[in-house]
Amino acid sequence: MAEYIIRRTLQMIVVFFIFLVSSYLLFNAIPGNAFQNLLLNPDLPPDAYEKVLKTYGLDKPIMERVQLYVVNFFKGDFGYSYKYYPKTPIELIAERLPRTLMLFAIVNIVAFYTGFLVGKVLAWRRGSKSETWITVTSVFSYTVFYPWFALMMLWFFGYKMGWFPIGKFLYPEKWYDAPWDSDVIFVLMIKFTVIISVIQFMAYLLTRGIESLTQRRNIRFGSLIAIFIGSYLFWNTGDALTKKPYAADIAYHMILPVVVVTIVAFAGTALLTRTTMVEVIKEDYILTARAKGLSQKRIRDRHAARTALLPVVTSFIFTIVTIIDGSVLTETIFSWPGMGQLLLQSVLEEDIPVAMATFSFVGIFALIAHLVADISYSYLDPRIRIKSQG
Amino acid sequence: MSNNLKEQEELQKQLRKDALRKNWKLFSQSKLGMIGLYIVAFFLFLALLQPFLFITGIWNPAIYDPVVGYDQIKAELLVIECPKEYPTEKYESYSDCPGPGEVNIKKLYMAPDLKVGEYYDTFIQPAPPSKTHLLGTDSLGRDVFSQIMEGSQVAFVLGLLSATLGVGISTILGTIAAFFGGRVDAYLMRQSDLILMLPSLPLLFIISAFAELKVWHLAVVLGVLGGLGGSVITIKSQALQVKVKPYVDSARITGGSKWQILFQHILPNVAPLALLFMVFSVTGAIASESVLSFLGLLNIDMSWGIMIYLSQTDGFIFSGLDFWWLILPAGLAVTFLAGGFYLVGRGLDEVFNPRLRKR
Repeated sequence: MAEYIIRRTLQMIVVFFIFLVSSYLLFNAIPGNAFQNLLLNPDLPPDAYEKVLKTYGLDKPIMERVQLYVVNFFKGDFGYSYKYYPKTPIELIAERLPRTLMLFAIVNIVAFYTGFLVGKVLAWRRGSKSETWITVTSVFSYTVFYPWFALMMLWFFGYKMGWFPIGKFLYPEKWYDAPWDSDVIFVLMIKFTVIISVIQFMAYLLTRGIESLTQRRNIRFGSLIAIFIGSYLFWNTGDALTKKPYAADIAYHMILPVVVVTIVAFAGTALLTRTTMVEVIKEDYILTARAKGLSQKRIRDRHAARTALLPVVTSFIFTIVTIIDGSVLTETIFSWPGMGQLLLQSVLEEDIPVAMATFSFVGIFALIAHLVADISYSYLDPRIRIKSQG
Repeated sequence: MSNNLKEQEELQKQLRKDALRKNWKLFSQSKLGMIGLYIVAFFLFLALLQPFLFITGIWNPAIYDPVVGYDQIKAELLVIECPKEYPTEKYESYSDCPGPGEVNIKKLYMAPDLKVGEYYDTFIQPAPPSKTHLLGTDSLGRDVFSQIMEGSQVAFVLGLLSATLGVGISTILGTIAAFFGGRVDAYLMRQSDLILMLPSLPLLFIISAFAELKVWHLAVVLGVLGGLGGSVITIKSQALQVKVKPYVDSARITGGSKWQILFQHILPNVAPLALLFMVFSVTGAIASESVLSFLGLLNIDMSWGIMIYLSQTDGFIFSGLDFWWLILPAGLAVTFLAGGFYLVGRGLDEVFNPRLRKR
């Protein structure tokens, strides 16, 4: 195993190097010398211009530029954003990343949980009328043309009903005299969400061993109530109390995007769970469980669903890889200034240092998560063993 | 001797026919799969109907052309004067005032002779659905139904072409990776890592910045990117299962060459899954085309994505359902065709994977 990880890491470094060079060349292929954009920024002082020109060799031929870029990249120097001059790409990413993570962490947790539940029931009620209807609905929300659907929801709930704000992630007028950056609030909210989900997950894991189904459910329900009380106390004491109105403002802006993306995202999980469950139900040990006289629910939840969880977990890991990529469209439609919007704007406005930095960030993220997915897969499924070959 | 060969050929033909009939029977048992097939057939019919209507002259291209056609819909509007205070007997609020078939006199500064109570002749665009235009016209006086037909042509060409190309590439590469293993496998897997690392939508933006993307080009780009990316991994895992089957071993023992085993024994057994994969990836290709057109990045005259893009940039999407014929048909067409292909894929899944069947 250790040998496999070392091999993979070495390969990953090579892949990343190729990725860096090829994306640099790709940006360079955009017509109208993208690097001259530097000149067009009036905020740029002349000495800074000279400095950037020298460190990145922008007046030199392409191969030397690539060399310089790669060398600077591994030194940790990503240059300055052309558009937001004094800021570096790293600062921009650090500013935008919490917003995207907040939105999509909640979406993915909710979508995978509900999707798994729905898929489980779907496979179990095979052939019934309710199965057909739920399947048709989930296929519709799986294949619906997402931007169109999101715009229709925006129109209905944001414009016609006026329940939710249209776009943006806060009301600027509420934040004029705010003592904090919005990012401080975002980080606090992320911490809060992560702690809550970890507690609930731990409760789930701990109660797994309990035999009685009703007792197990009661304990899980109790932990949910405990979380509610705990979060009420958390938001009403000390430091968090002063941050509460701002967090509430952000949360209010988050409702519509979260709901819309969840509706679209949960169906994929539900359909995947259904397919694996249907296959698992044919296995012999389910027949054994039935012959033993176990209750339907117990067979469904404890024998079939556990095996069917495996591909869902893998697809969850792969979804985390594509969070930033997938956020591009959502953040454009809901004008949510996160990583996706940064990526899209930097590509469209040819803000090359930022675009390269975000591209490589996404790339590193994807590579590491892919490795983690492969390793965890071999742990979760004993049928798959990684041999010491590439 | 030749007679014998002929008999053998006929027997093979018969066997193939029987297998097809059996598979069709299995497929037609799945209700949702059949619904999907009907949906796909309906859109195929729409795609083929449009050139037929133009050739036979039932539709005049000057009026019904999806891109350059133009039709004036005449309408008589009653000239009224909006009240200053609401609610009145006729109108509940400010936004109700020029009701259907009416026009506010204050808007008629171009025709100062008209008085309240008279009729005002005008051309309305976008025009609501009528007998001549089944789904109305858009804001430039073009027939929406004809645009839907053109859009389904684009969707079929693009979806099928990119799916075939992508699945062709990934099937060959996936089986090679599974069969040879070792360095070849490692190289192909890292290559698909590389493709998966690139964020897809921004990548297509960059490509559309330096290359004029038409339907064919986009189909090739989507096909190659899809074929080199994640689907290689899926096909490889399937081919690995085929590779350890006894008949592959016996082929090796009887002295089959590597390529022969690869192409005659492994590839045909991976093919059903590849076909399934192809049907599912049509869904993705249609969605990507619509997203790119929706963002206004493609060099295509007309497609469903462009219809939604136009209805959004013209501001009709937030006008609610007053102009439903500009908003609903295109969005629903994308959704239904993608959903149709998905359902067909599900039906095929039950044919190829016996463990998914009911009995």
